Amino acid sequence: MTTPPVDDPDVLVDVRGVKVHFPIKAGVIFDRVIGHVYAVDGVDLQIRRGETYGLVGESGCGKSTLGRAILNLEPPTEGHVVFDGTDIASLKGEELRRKRQDIQMVFQDPLSSLDPRQSVESLLVEGMKAHGLAKDAKEARPRLRELLTAVGLPVQALSKYPHEFSGGQRQRIGIARALSVNPKLIVADEPVSALDVSVQAQVINLLEDLQEQYGLTYLVVAHDLAVVRHISDRIGVMYLGAIAEEAAAVDLYARPLHPYTRALLSAVPIPDPDVEDSREQILLTGDLPSPSNPPTGCRFHTRCPWRQDTRCDDERPQLRVVAIDGVPEGHRVACHWAEQIDSGELRPHEVTPVAVGSDELPPAAVEPELMGPASVTEAL
Amino acid sequence: MTDPLTSYGQSRKARIDALAATSVAESGTVEEAPGLSLIASAWQRLRRNPVFLLGAFITVAFVLLALVAPWVAPHDPAVGYLLDKVRPQSNPVPGPEPGFPLGADSRGRDLLSRLIVGARQTLIVGVFATLGGFLGGLVLGTLAGAFGGWVDSLVMRIVDVMLSIPSLLLAVSISALATRPSQWTVILAIAIVQIPVFARLLRGSMLSQRSSDHVLAARALGIKQSAIVFRHMLPNALGPVIVQATLVLAVAIIDAAALSFLGLGNPDDRKPEWGQMLGQSQQYLADYPHLAFWPAACIIVVALGFTLMGESTREALDPKSRR
Amino acid sequence: MMSDAPLLSVEDLTVTFGRRGQEPFRAVDGVSFQVRPGQTVGLVGESGCGKSVTSLAIMGLLPQRGNTVSGRVDFEGTNLLELSTDDMRDRRGRDIAMVFQDPLSSLNPVVPVGVQVTEVLERHRGMTRKAAMPVAADLLRRVGIPDPDRRIKDYPHQMSGGMRQRALIAIALACAPRLLIADEPTTALDVTIQAQILALLKELVEDTGTALIMITHDLGVVAGLCDEVNVLYGGRIVERGARHPLFRDPRHPYTNGLLGSIPRLDAVGERLTPIPGSVADNLPWDHACAFAPRCSQPIERCTQVTPVLEESFGRALRCHNPVEVPR
Repeated sequence: MTTPPVDDPDVLVDVRGVKVHFPIKAGVIFDRVIGHVYAVDGVDLQIRRGETYGLVGESGCGKSTLGRAILNLEPPTEGHVVFDGTDIASLKGEELRRKRQDIQMVFQDPLSSLDPRQSVESLLVEGMKAHGLAKDAKEARPRLRELLTAVGLPVQALSKYPHEFSGGQRQRIGIARALSVNPKLIVADEPVSALDVSVQAQVINLLEDLQEQYGLTYLVVAHDLAVVRHISDRIGVMYLGAIAEEAAAVDLYARPLHPYTRALLSAVPIPDPDVEDSREQILLTGDLPSPSNPPTGCRFHTRCPWRQDTRCDDERPQLRVVAIDGVPEGHRVACHWAEQIDSGELRPHEVTPVAVGSDELPPAAVEPELMGPASVTEAL
Repeated sequence: MTDPLTSYGQSRKARIDALAATSVAESGTVEEAPGLSLIASAWQRLRRNPVFLLGAFITVAFVLLALVAPWVAPHDPAVGYLLDKVRPQSNPVPGPEPGFPLGADSRGRDLLSRLIVGARQTLIVGVFATLGGFLGGLVLGTLAGAFGGWVDSLVMRIVDVMLSIPSLLLAVSISALATRPSQWTVILAIAIVQIPVFARLLRGSMLSQRSSDHVLAARALGIKQSAIVFRHMLPNALGPVIVQATLVLAVAIIDAAALSFLGLGNPDDRKPEWGQMLGQSQQYLADYPHLAFWPAACIIVVALGFTLMGESTREALDPKSRR
Repeated sequence: MMSDAPLLSVEDLTVTFGRRGQEPFRAVDGVSFQVRPGQTVGLVGESGCGKSVTSLAIMGLLPQRGNTVSGRVDFEGTNLLELSTDDMRDRRGRDIAMVFQDPLSSLNPVVPVGVQVTEVLERHRGMTRKAAMPVAADLLRRVGIPDPDRRIKDYPHQMSGGMRQRALIAIALACAPRLLIADEPTTALDVTIQAQILALLKELVEDTGTALIMITHDLGVVAGLCDEVNVLYGGRIVERGARHPLFRDPRHPYTNGLLGSIPRLDAVGERLTPIPGSVADNLPWDHACAFAPRCSQPIERCTQVTPVLEESFGRALRCHNPVEVPR
């Protein structure tokens, strides 16, 4: 299942068979484990030096958890994350803390990821002090100026506090903080989705510029396929804890092989009425199954318009290279029928939607008749 | 001092001029003025908030009164000036007369003076009981919130047990344990009762900090665990707890009154305290309600002052209420 | 099918929020637009542009304390702003219905979804609970909820986000309103679910002939759905046009800038051209263009004279120095 270790010196991060399972606990005094959320369930991927790897998928697909597992902020239940020859997943304590200098993170919500009590100077100096790059703020001054210039903020920002900035400026501070310790890899978890549309482009361009300037490697985790495709060299599409398809950004759009990728691509709205009017959409029916009780076989088979009676329901497809003309080796897909679907031999069919409830238990003690008017209907 | 509104208007004008003069940098403009910390900006808003100002006025007046009480009180609160007018059968509580605007208590001592001097004792009970509860809760809450796991479970079960006993009952039991009731046994009893409240609050606040993005960011940055707890989690978690403290202060004063009422308060009534005065007025309640009214009114007003101040501070510190 | 008499006509709508210790804030600043029967009109803009406040003002759902609403909101000849609270409550749900961004917080968590649908029918159509039940099940089926006879008894938390939004749409449609206002109805949803909901809305508008006001920050959503698009900035409409000419030939630098700053799925990695600054850099509209500091081509007039909204050939534009080159 796990691919053999890669000795390619080009590979900076080698993720092998990573699983992150969260126990679901219940009990009054003593917790009992009554199940698991299979957030990440067996992922292999390699990130090469200097490239941007985009991880895309819908909420609950495990992309953010995988991003955190790579930093060992969420210790993997199983598997290895080999970073520059060291297995991050097995590190603990001080060793892990030291290693964090190499891998930094940029968060989705720029305000909540900055300590509201810290001035920008203190925010930026803290990491440098923790890794012995500077003894105090005074010594770090030239470096602080450089960082601020790099992210396009004026020097007077140093004495200010996070709440005094706009969303885009805060994200710049978050990026400067990540840069402050000279990392090799930056994991950006939804770096623009909390920002206004007009500001998103600023941050995307900034990330691109910084990559060039500092020779950084990025792992960008996002739900917005247009953003991921714009910024990434290679893309992994995740569905329910596993990678469904992996390809160069250009190839993925030009020739999606996995039915889920096709549906995802066709669902992204494009700001051009002419394109929108003529597009063919693959509308998926039903909802994402619960990651605590994933479907057997191919995880996508419950919603797949190309599902076949054999293999799909009981055999879990592995990420594989397909033998189709014009599809490069780097384009891998986890679908049993990728060739037949691509050639048109298999046609899409109707899917009866399977309603998926949420994980919560029904409120046993609630007496509906006794309750007051509803919030919406009250307004009506 | 400049009027805040004019200076606000002026800074706004200057800002507009600056904006109009040049087109902005890509990241947008950052004002030249030095940064304003969270607390400073909360204060900016608080000092224009009438609710806070009223609360602060009451609180400051109370503290000032407590400080200067012995010099302000017209008479010695321990001396029964009107003792000769007390008739146990016909006139147990002397009424107002010149020099004694509120009359005297059952031992002929000036009620007004006792109220004024009582402010000091009440403040001592309130502040020390709150402080005791706060410190105890700080230790337990930090332990539970910072370490999690079995430490958290253990601490929280102890706290749950303490919370499951009605607080007054617990305070009564603790003060009954003391061989000789004194002001300090009252303080201790109330402090212990407040510990679980503080511990629970701080623990919850610490836990939400623990899972917050900025703590995750600090972990990702490779900051040492101790620094994360004491520099990032604790200071941010303390906000709601400090506000709770102002509310607890009011509760402590009322609890002290309840203990005194039950006869478990400070028996030494040469140093009057409002709760104690309220307690001692019980046997005359039907015929001379003013004996209970004045200390009760003082307690209510002071409790209101602390509560208004606490609530408005909480509101001002809440990041959601900003802008 | 579309007649020329407007169903809804918003004229010079202004909403001012009073703020303690600060000067009042004009969230909506003289907004005028019309919606004809069966038409889908988009209000597009970023956070703080006043699009949601506009919709709440039309629905009469803004808190009354401290806020002032002026202008006219004519719905079939009646000025909704002058209606009493009770009359307005009668209209809401019956004539105009609204779908909100967050379906979970818009539904009552302790009442089954079906009952929340029947409540509207009971209130506005005077049906009994018993008679309303099959109608409610029909509505749920129509919005694509599978097995509605069973799901009707479900509580909101037992449904997924997409199903909840469908249920919310069913509630909104219960009384066949002539105008539906959808405030960021798909922002909280995943793309594949968003595609389902948008397809549903499109279908419902075609089938029932209800008019739709679509409020969103996503130009992509607008491009596929709206007949006419209003672009808002700083509480004012800065540009209006039918969707094809507007996207092909955006005249306002803000519209143009927005289109230039969105990465497109179908375009190869060209560098994006962001709009500099943020909403915090706006000028007040009083004697300038609010967008001037962020504008790509400001002229001196922009910081001295307030631009007015000029209409010609079905387009409207508020700009001193419009973009000349079509995209």
